[in-house]
Amino acid sequence: MAVYILRRLLLAIPTFFGCTLVVFVIVQLAPGGPLEEELRALKMGGGGEGAVVSQTAGSVTQLPQDVVDAMKEFYGFDEPLWKRYPIWLGIYPRKVDRFVVQPGVPRNIGEGKKIVVKQTGTQLIITDAETNQTVSGWSVRFYKNDKGEDKIQIYKEKFSGILTLDFGKSHKYNEPVLNLIKSRLPVSIQFGIISLILTYTFCVYLGIQKAIKHGSPFDFASSAIVFVGYSIPGWALGAVMLVALGGGSGIGWFPLGGFQGPDYDQLTFLSKIGDRIYYFVLPTIAYCIAAFATTTILMKNSLLENLSQDYIRTAFAKGLKERRVIWVHAMRNSIIPLAANFGSIIGIFLASNYLIERVFNIQGIGKLSFEALLSRDYSILFTFTVLTTIVSLLGALISDMILATVDPRIRFK
Amino acid sequence: MFSRKIKDDKTEQKVLSIMQRRWRKFKGMKRGYNSFRILVIAYILSFCLPVLVNNQALMVSYNGHWTFPAVQTFFAELPVVGLVIPNHAYPGVVFGQKNNTSECKYRDLKVQYQNEGQGNFVVMPLYPYGYKDMVAGDGVKEDVFTKPLGRTSDGGFRLFGTDDSGGDVFSKIMYGFNISISFALLLSFIEYLIGIPLGATLGYLGGWFDILMQRIIEIWASLPLLFLIIIVVSILTPSFGLLLGLLSVASWVGITTYVRAEFYREKAKDYVAAAVSIGIPTWKIMLKHILPNSLVPLITFFPFTLIGGITALVSLDFLGFGLPPGTPSWGSMISIGLDHINDGYWWLTVVPLTAMFLTLMMTVFIGEAIREAFDPKVFSRLR
Repeated sequence: MAVYILRRLLLAIPTFFGCTLVVFVIVQLAPGGPLEEELRALKMGGGGEGAVVSQTAGSVTQLPQDVVDAMKEFYGFDEPLWKRYPIWLGIYPRKVDRFVVQPGVPRNIGEGKKIVVKQTGTQLIITDAETNQTVSGWSVRFYKNDKGEDKIQIYKEKFSGILTLDFGKSHKYNEPVLNLIKSRLPVSIQFGIISLILTYTFCVYLGIQKAIKHGSPFDFASSAIVFVGYSIPGWALGAVMLVALGGGSGIGWFPLGGFQGPDYDQLTFLSKIGDRIYYFVLPTIAYCIAAFATTTILMKNSLLENLSQDYIRTAFAKGLKERRVIWVHAMRNSIIPLAANFGSIIGIFLASNYLIERVFNIQGIGKLSFEALLSRDYSILFTFTVLTTIVSLLGALISDMILATVDPRIRFK
Repeated sequence: MFSRKIKDDKTEQKVLSIMQRRWRKFKGMKRGYNSFRILVIAYILSFCLPVLVNNQALMVSYNGHWTFPAVQTFFAELPVVGLVIPNHAYPGVVFGQKNNTSECKYRDLKVQYQNEGQGNFVVMPLYPYGYKDMVAGDGVKEDVFTKPLGRTSDGGFRLFGTDDSGGDVFSKIMYGFNISISFALLLSFIEYLIGIPLGATLGYLGGWFDILMQRIIEIWASLPLLFLIIIVVSILTPSFGLLLGLLSVASWVGITTYVRAEFYREKAKDYVAAAVSIGIPTWKIMLKHILPNSLVPLITFFPFTLIGGITALVSLDFLGFGLPPGTPSWGSMISIGLDHINDGYWWLTVVPLTAMFLTLMMTVFIGEAIREAFDPKVFSRLR
């Protein structure tokens, strides 16, 4: 088992790189990236916060070259395309703390230090301006800017990327992406976990009842709910419920979206719970309905199939009670396909519910990344995709592990 | 009793092939079969929408000269024929509508002819509002929203009311139906077109190509594909073809994986070995021997891929990354409705959602019926 898990984890690594590469290439090739966004903002007279830019006059149509350069550096666009991916991963050094210098002129590099670059032919030497000794940690290079002018730049090299958990900074919120995700994640996870628990308890129970009473009026009536679940996506059902039960044109039982009441912090513990339920009911139903139909039918069919097997006949023939036959004998075999499905459901719940979050106006990671998409906030987009991929890979792994635990016939070699 | 039963079975087996028996069983399932009939008829009828639900006139008789604008649109918008026939819009001045060089307003024209009383006349379609219709003078908000079964300020009867631009909800729903189904049908078709040959090759031939594709499939399965589609759509100019292409790229994996597994399993069976040993070429084994055996589940999948296609298109439209603006689509209608959820214009959300729900529901019924008709498994229980 341990060997199997290890092997699966190792196999997940190339998949992970493949996924991130696909996403990276798609987003990088996209025109209208953050650079264009910033440049346009500057041209329009608005302030872009990304680059080290002093505010230029509002009517400038042609930006100064060093401003453009600084922006390109900030977003890594000065590197060739093939280098950006390893840099972003953190397995290729990223150039940080860059300064353009004139040979022989001391340059302030912060921390009260000054650096002098001396040029002898094509040789460049960096020395401390005061002690005249070579400075470690700094590199120097010639480079051509867009206009073809030769410049000399000093910089530090640092491995910094998603593998070192540096997800970059959102240029829209001007905050590290990790912080943004951290602040939004709890909301999404709460909905995910509650929906997961509800789906499994309710669907398993309903599926069993439907299988036991196959063909009865109960089976028929509950099939109606299942059909609804099949034929309407969660977000659409959410929209229906909002119109019918929310404020506005509906009867106003539930709020028109949001996550908690405006005076949530002042409430007592009990009314806090009440407030939560009040805001949670509709979105949770919308979350659940996606997996509801498939899970219920999976459970029902699986149990039905097992109930028609010979070993069930034997169990009945031995004189066991129906309860015991169903819950102990048949259930153990029927739960297997459900376990196999578990991982994909985790993925659905934790990752891609920006549709539901948009309908209910919930400030979760889905909504965050959708807004990031609209404003071309690369760092958030990447982080979201990486997160989704990891969750989905983990889900598949968890599925297999559960499968191995509940199905003794499966032996992984 | 016993002998009669055998006789019945015999006559049935003599006359009917297995497909015919399945078809008969499918027809026997009222809910599924009726849904199937309704959807097929509705879809075929939806191609006639330009002559049924349109703001263009069926016929204009002006100074003894007859023109048929809606009929021309009908032919121009037909799937294959439409590629040859250009769509022609008549400017208002052609029919004596003064100072109107843009497309003729046929409803106004009808009123104008009646007032003039010179023997000219206009025949409008059954429901004389198109999806491109806007209410005249759309600056005034109060005039724009008309309730279902209500009348606009010019006295026009609107079955499902009008939306924020004064567009007719009913005709948008109808045209949207045609687009949704066409899109989903084409998408499913492409999925099968890629999935079956690719899956068959991978499963039957195996080898390094199979190993490589397995990796790619795994990557594809872990990617947030709808999200990536949105990214690409937000960069490029959205169109029907682009969306179809992108969703095909995203969804070929399902069928491929399935067909691969099926071929992989089947190739180990004796009948394949027998076919190989008598020297039948590989492509023939795959096409004529294995494919028919794995076709049944593929047919039962079809309604559900259709549902996937419709849902995907509606979701993209809803988020604003679907078909280009101006195309009648359910998703964008729902999105407009949600924008006005506080204002009490409930029909803007309810009508498109109901349309989508009914369509998907009927498709599910068909899917269930097909699955049951094709499924030889009968659950028997002791107790």
